[in-house]
Amino acid sequence: MKQFRFHAVASVLLAAAMALTGCSGGGDAAKPSEPGSTPSGSQGGGTKQVTLSMHSWRVEDTEGYAKIIKAFEAENPNIKIDFKPFKATEYNTILNTALQSDSGPDILQLRPYAAGTALAGAGYLEPLDSLPGITNFPKDVLAGATGKDGKVYGVPLSLSTTQFYYNKKIFEQNGLKEPKSWDELIATAKTLKEKGIVPISFGAKEGWLLSLSHGVIAPASLKDGYIDKLMKGESDLKSPEFLKSVQRMQELIPYFPENYVGLELNDMRTLFATEKTAMFINGSFELEGIKKLNPDLQLDIFPMPTDDGKSVITTWVDGSYAVNAKSKHKQEALKFMEFMTTKKFAEMFANELKMISAMPGVPLQDPLLNKMAELSQSSSTPYLMIVHFSEGNPTTKKTLENSLQGMYLNKLTPEQVADEVQKSAATWFAPFKK
Amino acid sequence: MGVGTIAIDRQKGRRSWVIHLFPLPALVIYALFVVYPIFSAFTYSLYDWQGIKRGVFVGLKNFTTLFTVEPFNEMFWNAFSHNLLYFVVEMIVQNGIAFTLAFFIYRKIRGAGFLKVAYFIPRLLSVIVVGFLWKLIFNPNYGALNTFLTKVGLAEWAKPWLGDPDTALLAIILVNCWFGVGFAMLIFLAGLQSIPEELIEAARLDGARGVTLLWKIILPLCMPAITIMTIFTFIQAFEAFELVYAMQGSMGEPFYSTDTLAVYFYRMAFSSAGGGDVSIGLGSALAVVLFLIVASVSALSLYLMRKREVQH
Repeated sequence: MKQFRFHAVASVLLAAAMALTGCSGGGDAAKPSEPGSTPSGSQGGGTKQVTLSMHSWRVEDTEGYAKIIKAFEAENPNIKIDFKPFKATEYNTILNTALQSDSGPDILQLRPYAAGTALAGAGYLEPLDSLPGITNFPKDVLAGATGKDGKVYGVPLSLSTTQFYYNKKIFEQNGLKEPKSWDELIATAKTLKEKGIVPISFGAKEGWLLSLSHGVIAPASLKDGYIDKLMKGESDLKSPEFLKSVQRMQELIPYFPENYVGLELNDMRTLFATEKTAMFINGSFELEGIKKLNPDLQLDIFPMPTDDGKSVITTWVDGSYAVNAKSKHKQEALKFMEFMTTKKFAEMFANELKMISAMPGVPLQDPLLNKMAELSQSSSTPYLMIVHFSEGNPTTKKTLENSLQGMYLNKLTPEQVADEVQKSAATWFAPFKK
Repeated sequence: MGVGTIAIDRQKGRRSWVIHLFPLPALVIYALFVVYPIFSAFTYSLYDWQGIKRGVFVGLKNFTTLFTVEPFNEMFWNAFSHNLLYFVVEMIVQNGIAFTLAFFIYRKIRGAGFLKVAYFIPRLLSVIVVGFLWKLIFNPNYGALNTFLTKVGLAEWAKPWLGDPDTALLAIILVNCWFGVGFAMLIFLAGLQSIPEELIEAARLDGARGVTLLWKIILPLCMPAITIMTIFTFIQAFEAFELVYAMQGSMGEPFYSTDTLAVYFYRMAFSSAGGGDVSIGLGSALAVVLFLIVASVSALSLYLMRKREVQH
């Protein structure tokens, strides 16, 4: 009896062990059925029903996409789309592993600029230049999804803009208007401070917000043509223009909240939404969050006033959709891409997901978002660090973030910040290597 | 008679043979999820990676890059020094307090049973929960710590604890001490309780009291527990990740003041959310170096400290 029990236990354990090793050994062989793209239906004839898998990092957009996909499926009854979002911070890892093991989705959301087009460089993406609707987008918008070979690999989705948000009520109560120059901006901040109101909601704890704020502040001191010169290597990041932009970041310190070096986005947003601060430098994507915290807030935005009397709003293309080069249903996936280039999609996208469509001239229901969209067409400037300096290891963008943090902690001077950024760019940016 | 013993022997033989199969599932799982990844990380570290695509074989180039090229070498030693600080502070603060607590509980002060449970309670929380909890306490605007300091008239002491590079890392390490003190105390308590009562009695009869008794009798006899705890602390300090990640994210912010080797590794190998290349080759090389540091130092100190342990 006892003996029998021992045998039974031992054989169960052995079987379990074998099953485990079996799993690892035959891992590759056991994976031919790709998750998502299930080739259902007979190959013999009739209409083939195809299910495409679609990966994204926008979990919060699930409902919006469900409606958009329904509209597409109504027009294309033989194609079903399985939208699967992942947590944003884990998306890259999940996507990369899937692509490497040939089990990637048919359609995938692509990170903007260098981070996303690196996948094209590795041969995982299908070029989309022949897609008829792709010409609906201007060239600088397509740049967000253009590979090093000059081919377009993604259909751009949305434009992000960054600017100053401000509290209209506080401004009116103190007789203030939207500033039209840097000096006016400083004067506005001074007035607010004298009245006991913290002028700018700002925190230096999260680096990405520092480069984002720099993206708003900098273009005002970068004269027209500077970026072109920079791109040709005729000027560099140690130039007086760039240095001035860093010095301006420093000049704002007196107008930040107390202990600002320890504040992060949550704190900044809360301070602004609870009317403790008057201005808040942030992106179009923050609009929903601020409104949710305080729906009664009298909110408006102003673009950055430049030194030559204009104003600019900083923009970049935020994500696009691409087709997996190894997809088994490329034709169907391209059909969906075609749909994504239509005005119908752009309007649904803008209003369902409350984002500025990458397609020019798509009106938005939200008046503030509409203002950003209009400004982005009339007077936009690229977010330098994302559009042109997001490469390197660590990236030049990250280097700027860290150095600015150092500046706010009194460890670096603005000159040293510019030096660090230039040094980082020179490790990979060809025109600086000369 | 003879037949009977043979039957028993055979049964015994079979039993002992079966027993050898029992570790198999554990070994298989260990091989799959520990040994295999370590070896694959080692092979990854020998290739040049372009983003996520494996490039050509480059031998030890990733390792030399890690130690000779700016800013990688600076970041490595910066993170390494933080791990070292982690270890030193934990040894002094966490283990010091833990041993004192264990000693008092061992001496059966009033309420020893309650205290034992109370000190262990932080350990029941998930590290992530601990991280978020303390992040709220440290918040410069509404955090409990600054509020408390202001209320008791020490307003000038209030500061952005996690935003200031001078205090951020130390704050995290002290939270880790708070979290780990209960576990260390239990290990020390077990060590103290394993000391034979007769030895202490005999020492008392010989006139040993107080500090002498502690220093000459109890501490040496407690060495096995101290050895184990030292090695645990070392491993924990050099693998410090979760708490730092929960409180500061993966960027080592502010200004790389909270970077540890594991956080640096994570950022290099996986975290490209901010754009730019992930460096799987460099990341793997760092993982291998980290593994070598932890494995060799642990093994060496185990060997050296075992030698000095007193047998009883």
